[in-house]
Amino acid sequence: MEPIEIGIAVTAGLLLVVILGMRVAFAAAIAGLVGLIWIFWSKKGYAPDQFGWAFTVAAKTAGQVPHSKVASQALSLIPTFILIGYLAYYAGLTRALFEAAKRWMGWVPGGLAVSTIFATAGFSAVSGASVATSAVFARIAIPEMLKVGYDKRFAAGVVAAGGTLASLIPPSAILVIYAIIVEQDVGMLLLAGFLPGMVSAVIYAGLVIALAMTIKGFGPPVGGYSWRQRLAAVPATLPIFVVVAVIILFVYNPFGGAAWGTPTEGGAIGAFVVFCMAVYRGMRWPELKKALIETAKLSVMIFSIIWGVLIFVRFLGFAQLPTAFADWIGGLEQSPWITLILILLAYAVLGMFMDAIGMMLLTLPVVYPAVMALNGGAFVSAEESAFGMNGVLCGVWFGILVVKMAELCLITPPIGLNCFVVAGVRDDISVQDVFRGASPFFVADALTIATLLAFPAIVLWLPRLAMGN
Amino acid sequence: MASASSVLADDSLVSRLDRRLFRVEGWLALVSGLAVFSLMLLAVVSVGGRNFFGQPLPGYVDWIEQAMPLIALSGIAFVQRLGGHIRMDIVVGMLKGRALWVTEFVTTFLVLLLVIVLIYGSWAHFQRSFDFAAPLWSRDSSIDIALPLWPAKLVVPVALFILGLRLVLQLFAYGRAIASGTASPVAVPLIEDAATQASREAESVHDARVDEETVRDTPQSRDI
Amino acid sequence: VEWNVSVWGKRRAFTEHVEKMKELVEQKTNGEFTMNISYGGLSKNRENLDGISIGAFEMAQFCAGYHRDKNPTITVLELPFLGVDTLELERELSEVVYDHPAVEADLARWNATLLMPSPMPQYNVVGKGDKPSKLEDFSGLAVRATGGIGQAMEKVGAVPTSVTATEARQALDSGIVQGVAFAPHAHMSFGTVEGGQWWTTNLNPGTVNCPVVVNTDALNALSDEHREALMSSVEESLDHYVENYNTNTMGKWDPTLEEKGIEKVTFGEDEIAAFEEKAAGPIAKAWVEEMNGRGLPGQELYDLVTKTIEEKKAQNQ
Ligand code: NA
Ligand code: NA
Repeated sequence: MEPIEIGIAVTAGLLLVVILGMRVAFAAAIAGLVGLIWIFWSKKGYAPDQFGWAFTVAAKTAGQVPHSKVASQALSLIPTFILIGYLAYYAGLTRALFEAAKRWMGWVPGGLAVSTIFATAGFSAVSGASVATSAVFARIAIPEMLKVGYDKRFAAGVVAAGGTLASLIPPSAILVIYAIIVEQDVGMLLLAGFLPGMVSAVIYAGLVIALAMTIKGFGPPVGGYSWRQRLAAVPATLPIFVVVAVIILFVYNPFGGAAWGTPTEGGAIGAFVVFCMAVYRGMRWPELKKALIETAKLSVMIFSIIWGVLIFVRFLGFAQLPTAFADWIGGLEQSPWITLILILLAYAVLGMFMDAIGMMLLTLPVVYPAVMALNGGAFVSAEESAFGMNGVLCGVWFGILVVKMAELCLITPPIGLNCFVVAGVRDDISVQDVFRGASPFFVADALTIATLLAFPAIVLWLPRLAMGN
Repeated sequence: MASASSVLADDSLVSRLDRRLFRVEGWLALVSGLAVFSLMLLAVVSVGGRNFFGQPLPGYVDWIEQAMPLIALSGIAFVQRLGGHIRMDIVVGMLKGRALWVTEFVTTFLVLLLVIVLIYGSWAHFQRSFDFAAPLWSRDSSIDIALPLWPAKLVVPVALFILGLRLVLQLFAYGRAIASGTASPVAVPLIEDAATQASREAESVHDARVDEETVRDTPQSRDI
Repeated sequence: VEWNVSVWGKRRAFTEHVEKMKELVEQKTNGEFTMNISYGGLSKNRENLDGISIGAFEMAQFCAGYHRDKNPTITVLELPFLGVDTLELERELSEVVYDHPAVEADLARWNATLLMPSPMPQYNVVGKGDKPSKLEDFSGLAVRATGGIGQAMEKVGAVPTSVTATEARQALDSGIVQGVAFAPHAHMSFGTVEGGQWWTTNLNPGTVNCPVVVNTDALNALSDEHREALMSSVEESLDHYVENYNTNTMGKWDPTLEEKGIEKVTFGEDEIAAFEEKAAGPIAKAWVEEMNGRGLPGQELYDLVTKTIEEKKAQNQ
């Protein structure tokens, strides 16, 4: 068998065991290990006495990956961004945001759902992980929505979808992962996510209002707050702005001077600010311990997928699959726009079966060079490019599009991490309920993607500003 | 996903071993969390040193790279105990009783095989960086301040070894469940529906209870 | 026979000898002996020696300074102020050192045989902010410099600051470092020339040594004909590499500086001599002592290097 055929066979096997319910991280690692053994053995013509050699080499090659791939400075942003989210919960920021949003937005149709969307958007500015955001809001927003008679499926769906905003609005662990895979500037990607995140939130809110207005008794408004009460809710949310300012200043200094440091440092300093705030608000060792264990748990979960999938990716490297795919895409004779849209659609399909990080790790080494080639190469100027932007900005724009697609996977069955987490927090809501409740948001996400495709400036405005600086 | 699963406990040997191992796993998870916390402090020291004392922390990156394997791996068995590693449960979610436990047994067994192979491979990775005869026992060092890499590399086989113990224990528990055909086996994470069903059953027969400690000490606890 | 070759990054001046090797070997064996060059798909660059040792791939490139403890002997070539001034000299010097029995034994621990060097010119600093007019101005500046070059910069009061090559530009832009030491091709590919304002033309503190190695078992398993095709292509591949680096990369360097408006900083000969005196001797001495502590012939290797440089320079005059 040719290496590429081995690659395809093993990939099919991987999908099978994942569907049978094996933990994704381990399934990918097993597939990668089997694939490596296969490739090395085939190199020796499948001679029976060479199997031992092939097995040993494959085991040692795979055994390198967990340490090697995880020991990276850039990846250290992921646990720090997760820690910020949990500390912010203990600093009382989650409840403060939801309370303020409720008082200001509660009166519109679907008021509490709209409030949840904007509160998650605000919380996204301190939380780097979608899953963590959904987890904390499931504890706060769902009970309130159920109290005023929301459908429990919809209430859960709103929280699951709102959580995805955390990955666009900086800080964002997944934008960091994208930047690392494609070797782009992390700071620029974090900046680029800001406006699309806001646009996404507005489109979500619009959808909720439209639903509430068309379906009777869908989401009753919550009114009756005086302006005094509204203003009183604001101060408690102000710490969010401090953290946002800190993180932004570490990425890009809007006052024209140098940024204060690297995004890695910005994330850590942001976490430290929130930590001080949480201690001030009465967090002590038991709460801190809980936050640390929560952080550890989510980090371990994410990193297990990272190294598991990377064992598989290592095998793909030996099978030479990435090169074959890039050649194929490069050889297509159709409009680059159509190819780009097809790629995004492929992500939507793939995203149903995979988690966001695994999907990006698996595909980007292959797809990113192909997209750069579509635009006219990594060093193309805006004038000569297919998408009207230079190579660097195309990398940023595509990154935001991919991350938005990856976020969509968080709320699509059968593997939609955010929905699992929401169902996990709430005893009374099943995963199927959350998936059903989140389904209207596919439409909103499709609208957002279309908007970002049609108006790349939404993505590129801030990065251009920073570059011109 | 079984992320919200509960683990049942009773007085059987496997359940007692489960809880003892879980205590160790809990400590290791806390180590992982503390490592994240120390990353944060490290950045404060580094930024502060650079901006206020004109003296950046030497080897900042090297230290981060040392801490990362600890963060990523030391809690791996803890997460397995809680059923927190993500998976698709559309198929297993439809299975019940023996069919479910047989499926779980088979996939868990495959994972155990993987883990054994990876312990061997990551141990070899550690050994290549370790040399009793060398200064600091180091045969592989970091790029800037030449920290020995073997301690960080040793984290992997050790964490996987604990995971291996956990998997053996789970296999044992699934084996018992296959033999007895129970709907409420102890010492393994139960998927949501099964868990609800099991605890209801447990209440009625009084021979099993939801492990109190699991509820109290884990992120699954619903009270944070 | 197909060999897998593990390098990293993109195809660039730094990998041209490997690409040429592939071409030549395939040509000479009528396509019987092929090479599949993978840019990062097979291993992380700092673990290429591990991969060679395992036998996962047959050929790889790495840099000595990535992991001093893995290859202590060849770090002699990264000592500061050895006085290597051309790529040709760097190439000849590396080849002499690679033939030393202690070096061969060092690499044999990894089941590796040294095939050829990837000679690079002297590193120099691209910086941002106040331009240093004398060496004392480096005092208190954070400079991204690793290995022997970092130790040398420390001697003039600079603070060697660890940022990865890929973060170097961000670090320069954000003021974490005020200078970055790289070879010209790296200054161009890691983008430090975009934000830089000045460039030191003659600091020349040293360079980094990045050999190409092969797995010894795989080498021994080759048929005589194939091994001959491989070994006979080494010099030709290196000729191509050096020619390409000198004409294309170095040819592009001055226009790049001009285009980006980067000012050239040239230090007086006395100053450089003083810097050299401060850095070269003590660092070399410490290196020799460390090697002796490991039971390696440190002095012998150091003497081999200095003697070879003298001889070759004399020959070329
Ligand atoms: Na965020
Ligand atoms: Na999905």
